[in-house]
Amino acid sequence: MPSVCFYFQVHQPFRIKRYSFFDIGNDHFYEDADKNRAILDKVSENCYLKTNQKMLELIHRHQGKFRISYSLSGVFIEQCENYRPDVLQSFIELAKTGCVEFISETYYHSLSFLFSKKDFKRQVAEHAEKIKQYFGQTPRIFRNTELIYNNELAAFIEKMGYKGILCEGVDRLLGNRTPNFVYQPAGTKKIKALLKNYRLSDDIAFRFSDRNWSDFPLTADKFAGWVHKVAGNGEIVNLFMDYETFGEHQWENTGIFEFLDHLPAEIMKHPDFDFKTPSEVIAAYPARDVYDAHDFISWADIERDLSAWKSNSMEEEAFSKIYALEKRVNSLGNQDITDVWSKLQTSDHFYYMCTKYWSDGDVHKYFSPYDSPYDAYIYYMNVLSDFELTLKNAESGKPALKRRKAETVTAD
Amino acid sequence: MLGWEFPPVINGGLGVACHDLCIALTKYADVTMIIPKSNPDFVVKNLELLGLNNIDASTLKNVSHQYDGKTFEDVHFIPSNINPYYTEFADIRSSKYIKNVKIKDEDVDVFDIDDLYGGDVIEKVMLFSKLATRVALTKEFDIIHAHDWMTMMAGMEIKRATGKPLVVHIHSLEIDRGGVHSRGWVYETEKKGMDYADLLMPVSNFTGDIIHKYYGISRNKIATVHNGIRPVDAFRSHKPFDESMVLFIGRLTRQKGPEFFVEIASKVLDYNPDVRFVMAGTGEGFRTLIDRSSYKHIGTRFHLTGFLNLDKVRRLLSMADVYCMPSVSEPFGLSAVEAVQFGVPCVISKQSGVAEVLKGSLKFDFWDTNRAADYIINIINNKVLKEKVTQDAYEDLKHISWDYSAQTVINNYVSHGICLN
Repeated sequence: MPSVCFYFQVHQPFRIKRYSFFDIGNDHFYEDADKNRAILDKVSENCYLKTNQKMLELIHRHQGKFRISYSLSGVFIEQCENYRPDVLQSFIELAKTGCVEFISETYYHSLSFLFSKKDFKRQVAEHAEKIKQYFGQTPRIFRNTELIYNNELAAFIEKMGYKGILCEGVDRLLGNRTPNFVYQPAGTKKIKALLKNYRLSDDIAFRFSDRNWSDFPLTADKFAGWVHKVAGNGEIVNLFMDYETFGEHQWENTGIFEFLDHLPAEIMKHPDFDFKTPSEVIAAYPARDVYDAHDFISWADIERDLSAWKSNSMEEEAFSKIYALEKRVNSLGNQDITDVWSKLQTSDHFYYMCTKYWSDGDVHKYFSPYDSPYDAYIYYMNVLSDFELTLKNAESGKPALKRRKAETVTAD
Repeated sequence: MLGWEFPPVINGGLGVACHDLCIALTKYADVTMIIPKSNPDFVVKNLELLGLNNIDASTLKNVSHQYDGKTFEDVHFIPSNINPYYTEFADIRSSKYIKNVKIKDEDVDVFDIDDLYGGDVIEKVMLFSKLATRVALTKEFDIIHAHDWMTMMAGMEIKRATGKPLVVHIHSLEIDRGGVHSRGWVYETEKKGMDYADLLMPVSNFTGDIIHKYYGISRNKIATVHNGIRPVDAFRSHKPFDESMVLFIGRLTRQKGPEFFVEIASKVLDYNPDVRFVMAGTGEGFRTLIDRSSYKHIGTRFHLTGFLNLDKVRRLLSMADVYCMPSVSEPFGLSAVEAVQFGVPCVISKQSGVAEVLKGSLKFDFWDTNRAADYIINIINNKVLKEKVTQDAYEDLKHISWDYSAQTVINNYVSHGICLN
């Protein structure tokens, strides 16, 4: 009895403002509060509120048979706390149905596993605490930032007590196998890996409104037909995507919400198919084979590796500078300073510095708040220079430099 | 093709651009270039180069053609001895720009001008179009390709006489040189020429936008051809001083934004006194600039070189740490590409065509001197940034060539129905 496993990533970074060299030493508030708030407002209206409402409706309509999972980054939840408590509340309503699983990740949506295992652990724990606080669940399944994954990570996560891990089903690792089974990460004993079916996932996430696509327009029954073909040679279909697919990347007028509205019923028209959350999948199906990811993989760009964040000298420099501060930050034990440092680790900052898109299309540019990757790097490095001044001051016992906090709002 | 500046007689970048494009085009088409002045010893392979200074004007009177410049010129005739616009051929011979010279022991009357832009440039342009039209009528060709306003009259006249399609290549406009409110004879000529042309090829989308916005020409007949660059044997040399060096090259005219360079310099020097700013070029703004730089107390870190020859310019490029081009309106900006060839990272205004082809550059709005200063300081302070920008620009260089430009010209001909293939 094959299962469809929906997983949605929900994330918004604290974007850094255009922080010029002249600001160093003068301005210690780095966030582009206006822009962050404006984007959160926009995406909340286009996507989060509408889609959450739709999901809630579907869960009720199908009497609990429609089941889904989310990973909300800590920095996303924090922005909701600051600006949009109503959005946070709508996720809490979903959690209350018992049909929604919340998945673990690093609080700061960072690449910390690559640079500091210690800080990685701290960030995962911080995130789990936040999830518990709002949704009453202790996450059992982990997914790393942008599905960055390798064998070592799976083993490390297993040791931290997790039962499952999500990752990309990469063709070069699967060979002629399908992602539609539960796999055992190489070098682990118990933890199981769920592999994204990127073809079916991207049909919704990227191709849904593409008029040049031979399968345009995509209807729920057509898509369900493709899913049903898995019967007989697979046990799960992992549909993993950015939550912003609904209403933001694919606008409402593309018909994405109608598609979503009909999809569960169309899929369950086949009596053998149901929906499961990742934990339920792992409980229901055994691992059928080993997934051996020696090198890092991810779900980003066509390369599906680390090149979206780590392929040029600017990114390397920025990474090495931020993680070089770890010891100094930790030994201060100042929560405000740790918070600023941690937010500077968010993967998006490095994603904006990527120059790969010049040959590979413009996904990075679409997401970037800056004019160019150089700007992303320049503002980031200027901020780091100021942050180092803050560190120095704190280390010499001087009073903390004044920071303006983002203003917060209360729910209506 | 109809050109004005052409090596070895050149005044600015136009001559070089026409020459290099012409040569690249000979690979894909038969090219005849008619120019005011050529040196008979200057021979270019596969290119028929016709300088009006070598063609006997009196032989052209047999060419059956009634010049009708007034169609385009709206000329009103008044009885006068000094009317330069009178259009009968007989008048050509009485022009002060026709001289009797000996070519191969024969006395001939030829078009003779010393300075392409000095004196009565309007009369020169009118006379050029009369003569060039007659020369063109003795030739077989399919496309008229004119460069800038100086040859537009000729282009229009040839189109009228032959019915062949007129393509006008736009290297620079009166709006660039004089500002958006510029009007006058040159502007009018440009507007008429572009209206009458079948296809316009600006050297950048930036210039294409100006053509659309300030001349009211439909975008349907505008197709950009970015300039190429001649490969150069670049080298690096040591500076005679320890400070970082920021370089500006260009005429010191409003269009090039020299005053913004001074402004940027003063902002950078406020934060980092270990930088020298060098301005290479001469022009009308020279004097005021010096005054201004002393007023801002940046004199010891600010250097005006006056006019420099090519070798000296290259030496400066080989020493520079940053190339800064704050142009107010720059159709292309070849000098930035030259800086890239010399491995110098570029901080350039968005109001330039070159910004469209140099991804590896830091771009600012010409008035945003804070941002430019910020970029310069960051490049000087951050080796990684400097190397990355330089490296990326090298990559861009792979796609900037005259051969690529020539192919684009041909593709544009075809896609706009100027020729079949």
